[in-house]
Amino acid sequence: MKTQRTSYYIISLCIVMLWTVTSFSQNNAVVNDSVVYKLSYGLRLGGDLGKLVRSFIDNDYKGFEVNGDYRLTKKLFLAGELGTEEKTTSTDYLTTTGKGSYFKAGADYNFYTNWLDMENMIYGGFRAGIGAFSQTVSSFTVYNTDQYWHEQYTSDANREFKGLSAIWAELIVGLKAEVLNHLYVGLNLQIKGMITQDEPGNFANIWVPGFNKIYDSGRFGVGFGYNVSYLIPIYKKNKVVTQPE
Amino acid sequence: MRKFSLLVVLIILTGTSCERDDICAESTATTPHLIIRFYDINEQDQTKQVRLLTVNGIDDEGNPLGDIVSSISTDSIVLPLRIQGEGIVTTSRFALKKDSDFDTDTNDTTSSNTDVIEVSYTPEFVYVSWACGYKSIFTNTQNTLILDTDNWVFGYEIVNPTIDNENAAHIILYH
Repeated sequence: MKTQRTSYYIISLCIVMLWTVTSFSQNNAVVNDSVVYKLSYGLRLGGDLGKLVRSFIDNDYKGFEVNGDYRLTKKLFLAGELGTEEKTTSTDYLTTTGKGSYFKAGADYNFYTNWLDMENMIYGGFRAGIGAFSQTVSSFTVYNTDQYWHEQYTSDANREFKGLSAIWAELIVGLKAEVLNHLYVGLNLQIKGMITQDEPGNFANIWVPGFNKIYDSGRFGVGFGYNVSYLIPIYKKNKVVTQPE
Repeated sequence: MRKFSLLVVLIILTGTSCERDDICAESTATTPHLIIRFYDINEQDQTKQVRLLTVNGIDDEGNPLGDIVSSISTDSIVLPLRIQGEGIVTTSRFALKKDSDFDTDTNDTTSSNTDVIEVSYTPEFVYVSWACGYKSIFTNTQNTLILDTDNWVFGYEIVNPTIDNENAAHIILYH
């Protein structure tokens, strides 16, 4: 009972800490019939903190992404990402590195109805992604189930497949919270589907920058983003909130 | 608030879901074996069993290695091939002993008979999948029958010089 209550408390605390910005003013009713707030419109620029942190702690990964969005209407944003990544993946039989750059462009739609003049987002959107990259096989061991001759052959010669490209589509869901004035933190989840890719001869694309791991079982990939961004306000627009009696 | 926590839970779940496509399934065709079938020298379209056949690989110094087949009457054998590099012509030697029981029985007038074959080929590495990596296939397969005073194998035929599957015989031996 006690542990249950503790965990409930911790979960509540987490939610409250994450969303403090939404946790007040429920009963702060304004007497007027309608209120007008100023909403900032502009360019929000940021970077992926997750990729940066992972570059320091994961020896097999180097990555960097800048992202931005531009507010078109109250709920609609043009959005895009530009990044470069390098990732080494291996099994017992194969070690390979994917390396290159990518660009993604699309739109986000904010589904969240904000209180007052707050500008947080729970959004869904889409992206079209394009990547230019290389795949390198740095070593492999011939897969042979029969070890009668005790001669397991391993090749350490680098085989690099350069000048590859890929095009894919993404669905994205995420959230952004304004933690300080004009400063946002956000996280998002991306589901990716490959549309077309250059296949290296006698190999396959294992890990594509921007797309991540390509699973044997399909053409799908997933990705996560942990972003910090800053809104450069360009102009303000009025938001009229009608208060129910 | 409920929507928020649902989304957080969803993201955490997706992040920790496991990734199990890095195990090479047994059903995947990887490096193939050499398949040899035995046919009747007198009726060349008929398979013929070899009585109590024992097969050993022979190493570079000419010493026999462990049994690949031991004392089994059969009309086909499946042999592993050596791999020493891509594009390098490689030879695997096998000793084929028939009537294996004649070595140990009490009758002094009978004995087993061992013939040696040398199979040479060129390995070529072919990408299979992320989990299995590369397999080797073997091209340009050739066979040599080492002649001795009393061969029980009379001839051979390469029916498939490219060994890239285990569906059918690659070499036929007549006896």
